[in-house]
Amino acid sequence: MNSAPHPSPTASPSPVAPAPTQAPAPAPVDGAGSWATYVFAVCRSDHPGSLSAAFGHPGGGPLRLLKVGSLRAVVQDVPAAEFSETALRERLGDAAELERCARAHHGAVTAAAAGGPTVPMPLATLYLGDERVRAAVGANRERFRLALDRIAGRAEWAVKVHLTQAGTSARSAAPGTGETAAPGRGPGPHVSGRDYLDRLRSRQHLREQHRESALAAAEQVDTAVRRLAVATVSRRPHGPEVTGKDRTQIMNTAYLIAEDRSEELTATIGRLRASPEFGGVEIDVSGPWAPYSFTDGGELAGHP
Amino acid sequence: MTELDSWTTESRSHPPATANLAEILERVLDKGIVIAGDIKIDLLDIELLTIRLRLFISSVETAKKAGIDWWETDPALSSRAAHDALYEENKQLRERIEALEGEDSQDADSIPRAGARRELRRR
Repeated sequence: MNSAPHPSPTASPSPVAPAPTQAPAPAPVDGAGSWATYVFAVCRSDHPGSLSAAFGHPGGGPLRLLKVGSLRAVVQDVPAAEFSETALRERLGDAAELERCARAHHGAVTAAAAGGPTVPMPLATLYLGDERVRAAVGANRERFRLALDRIAGRAEWAVKVHLTQAGTSARSAAPGTGETAAPGRGPGPHVSGRDYLDRLRSRQHLREQHRESALAAAEQVDTAVRRLAVATVSRRPHGPEVTGKDRTQIMNTAYLIAEDRSEELTATIGRLRASPEFGGVEIDVSGPWAPYSFTDGGELAGHP
Repeated sequence: MTELDSWTTESRSHPPATANLAEILERVLDKGIVIAGDIKIDLLDIELLTIRLRLFISSVETAKKAGIDWWETDPALSSRAAHDALYEENKQLRERIEALEGEDSQDADSIPRAGARRELRRR
């Protein structure tokens, strides 16, 4: 809401303005004690560059903006030994370490994105030194410019639709069905095998119906949000490892939405959530994200 | 003011770093403009990583349910944690003073200090 950068609340160092001088001297490329240059993102030259010292990988220097023509790379000097191919493979294979790295990366990207259009780089984009970064980013400057134009003034939103277990059982436990499911008991004395199978079948049918209506609901969500978006990317829905056993993810889509339309998004989602056909369906929204999913395009949404 | 202040230079609220891990991973692992780096892990490795991750995330969720949330309590990752760390230290100091006042020095060893606890567990 308020657009001035806050100073940190307590004794922590105030947000460091472009702080190249504090970086450890990026010295000889090889050998112990040397530094590699980690690239988090690329932004424009008018980026205010107030990157808090709180971000970046632990053990590295402060974040800084490296000039590459009219672009700026958000970089950090990191200990080369910890970011060699072997070290990385080992570290990223370790769950806790991977999470730390991912969060450090995301934290720096997010901090940079707060200052203006920012193209995120994938995790572990590393160079032997600043010169190598200049060469690589410079060689791709057109791609970066296009991407920056595309995402300027826009942000990524993630919308996920879930079918909940509660929804399924609430509907399938229609009066009169249900009881026969008592575990370890066959059909009761008054229930023929045929009745039993019929009930099973109708319950199955209800479950399918519910799934169908949830899919229809997801489509409705997508249609509504697409209207606000300039581009979309559909992702594979998360499995039960992520969602938990009691809900099934049926839609996982990212949308690129103009910053001044985020309230419309909130309103749209609120309206959908409240509508009766969304019983047993949950809509999760997260954002605004730095536009991770739209740096290389994304499917164009119908309405600009 | 609030713990969010140092995360978002403004409250346009890009998701805080405590955002859902799965969401972060699906973004930082395979999105963004890919340019050839000098040092890199190849895409196959990343694929394998994401598979391993799906298994790992479930353990994170389990850990969360059990109240283990180091990523939210690690001072390096969260300013709230830095705040909590002070609070925790304060609490531990108070406990320690209380213990020292009440007991003899032998018992002071059993005061829960992070380091001490780790020592005990290792034995």
